[in-house]
Formats: sequence, structure tokens, C-alpha cells
Amino acid sequence: MINLGWGLVWTIINLIVLYLLLKKFLVGPVLGVMEKRKAMIAQQLENARVTQQKAEELKGHYEGALASAKEESAQILEDAKADAKQVSERMMKDANEQAAKIIEAAKTTAEQEKRNAMQGAKAEIAGLAMEAARKLLENGSSEEGNQMLYDQFLAKAGDGNDTDIH
Amino acid sequence: MAVLVLLSVILVRNLKVENPGKKQLALEAFIGFLNAFFEGILGDEGKRYIPYLITVALYIGCANLIGLFGFKPPTKDLNVTAGLAIMSLVLIYYAGFRQKGAKKFFMGFAEPMPIVTPINIMEIAIRPVSLCMRLFGNVIGAFVIMELIKMIVPVIIPIPFSFYFDVFDGLIQTYVFVFLTSLFMKEQME
Repeated sequence: MINLGWGLVWTIINLIVLYLLLKKFLVGPVLGVMEKRKAMIAQQLENARVTQQKAEELKGHYEGALASAKEESAQILEDAKADAKQVSERMMKDANEQAAKIIEAAKTTAEQEKRNAMQGAKAEIAGLAMEAARKLLENGSSEEGNQMLYDQFLAKAGDGNDTDIH
Repeated sequence: MAVLVLLSVILVRNLKVENPGKKQLALEAFIGFLNAFFEGILGDEGKRYIPYLITVALYIGCANLIGLFGFKPPTKDLNVTAGLAIMSLVLIYYAGFRQKGAKKFFMGFAEPMPIVTPINIMEIAIRPVSLCMRLFGNVIGAFVIMELIKMIVPVIIPIPFSFYFDVFDGLIQTYVFVFLTSLFMKEQME
């Protein structure tokens, strides 16, 4: 039991054979599978990271788009408001102008009318005076006649026929 | 040996990368444990020797535990432990030689000081002898004591002793053997 012999050589050969067999059938496949799994996990993590990055990017993109859309809508609203204000102001101004014009025209017309009336009245008065003068010349001058003429004149050009208040 | 190979073939037959079964998980945990243990000692450059060390660990482990089933442990034969030790010796110096190249390998004997060169050369013989004798002595000692206990009290009493001498001592000697082998390899590779 203590002395060395051929058993030593057989042991070594056995060990080498066992080593080759176990390497082929046990250690190799198991470690290979573990290695593969490790690689797969790493790959998946990498994938996840890439996907997340992409998603992050997209999110940023969309957020930017949303913000710009908001801005745009605000801009549009602002523009519309400004437009409406301008339009209403213009309309107001136009209306005012028109009203002023109308008033002006009315005033002018009234003035004209008044002047015409005055003119008419003056002509009438002149006519009346001429009539009275003619009558007076026809009938001769007398106290009676003067009084009558005066009355007549008053009656024709008196308050009742006065066009002007003053 | 045939049992080990057969078992490996059966266990390894349908390994999957995804959704491993319980059997596969246990196997992977076991092999992964051994692998991590040796990798921790040897580092990256020693990866190629790991399958051999795992083989030796399984071989000695099974050889020591086989006493539980009533067989004589093969490791109580000096020839077997000497064979294992010689293989370790070859592996240790091969690893160093491969890692460092011829010149640095032979210069390595004069380190850390030239004066220790004889001791380093003696170590070539001392290491395998110590590995071989440690394993042999432990196993034959345990075997002899177990036989004696069985002769005196054949029932019940041998059980606790069997736990110590067959299981604990066997596994510890396995651990020591592969641990020292990988440690020496690491030392040589540096």
C-alpha cells in the first residue's frame, strides 16, 4: 500500500481521461450555458438601455412639438385678438366719421333751409312793403289809409306768419 | 469514474439558456461555485486550468465520500494520491512556464533573493510530496479509525464518526488539495 507502482501511472492516465471527458460533458457545456446566459442578459440590458434612450429622445421630441404647438396656438389667438380689435376700432372710427358727416350734412342743410327761409321772408317783406307803398301811392296818403296799411302789414307780417322766432 | 461521466452526460443533456429547470439550476450553482472559487484564486489568466481543477475536485471529493457506501476510498492508495500530486506538479510548473516564458520562469527560482534558490528548487519536490502525503495520510487515517470503530461497535456508533471522518475530513482534504494546487499555480504565474 505504501510502495509506488504501476498504479501511479494508471491513476494519471485515468485522471487525464476523466479530465477530458468531464471537460467535454460537464464543465464545458455548463460554463458555456452560463456564459451564454450572461451574454444574453448583457445584450438584453443593452437593448433595454438603447430602447429607453430612444424613448427618452422621442419624449423630448414630442414635448418640444407640444410646446411649439402651444406657443403657436397662443400666437394665433393673440393675432386673432389683435385683428378683431383693429377691425372693431376701424368700424367704430368709420361709424363715428359717418355720423359726424351726417351731422355735418344735416347742419349744412338746416343752415341752407334757414337761409332760404330768410331769403323768402325778406322777399315777401320787400314785396309787402312794395305793395303797401304802391297802395299808398294809389290811394293817396291819409291818416286812415296809413292806419289801415299799417294794420294790414302787421296782419300779414305779424306773429302768425313769422317764420323766425326772433 | 464511469458513474461521474455518465452522471455528467445525463445532467448536461438538455441545458437551456433560458428558463433553466431546477436540476439545471442546481448543477449550474454547483459548477458556478467551483468556477468562481478557482477564478477568484487564479484570475483571468488561469481560466484555462479551471476545468482540470474542477475535475480533480470532483474526483477527490467522490473518492473520499465513496467510503460512505462501503467502498474502500481509492485515495487511501498512495499511488493515486501520488498520481494526483504529480499531475498538480506538472500543472503548476507548466502554468508558470507558459505564463512567463522560459527565461523569466527559470529566473523565478532566484526570487525574492538569489540565496533562496536551493529552497525554491527543493520546493519542486516538496510540494507534490506534501500534497500527496497530506491527502494519503488523512484518508488512510480516517479509514483505519473507521475500521477500528466498526470492529468494536458495528452499529449506531460509527454514524457520527462517519460524518466526521468520511464527509467532513474528505471534503476538507478535497478543498485543501485543489486550493493549494491553484494557489501554487497562481504563485508560479506571478
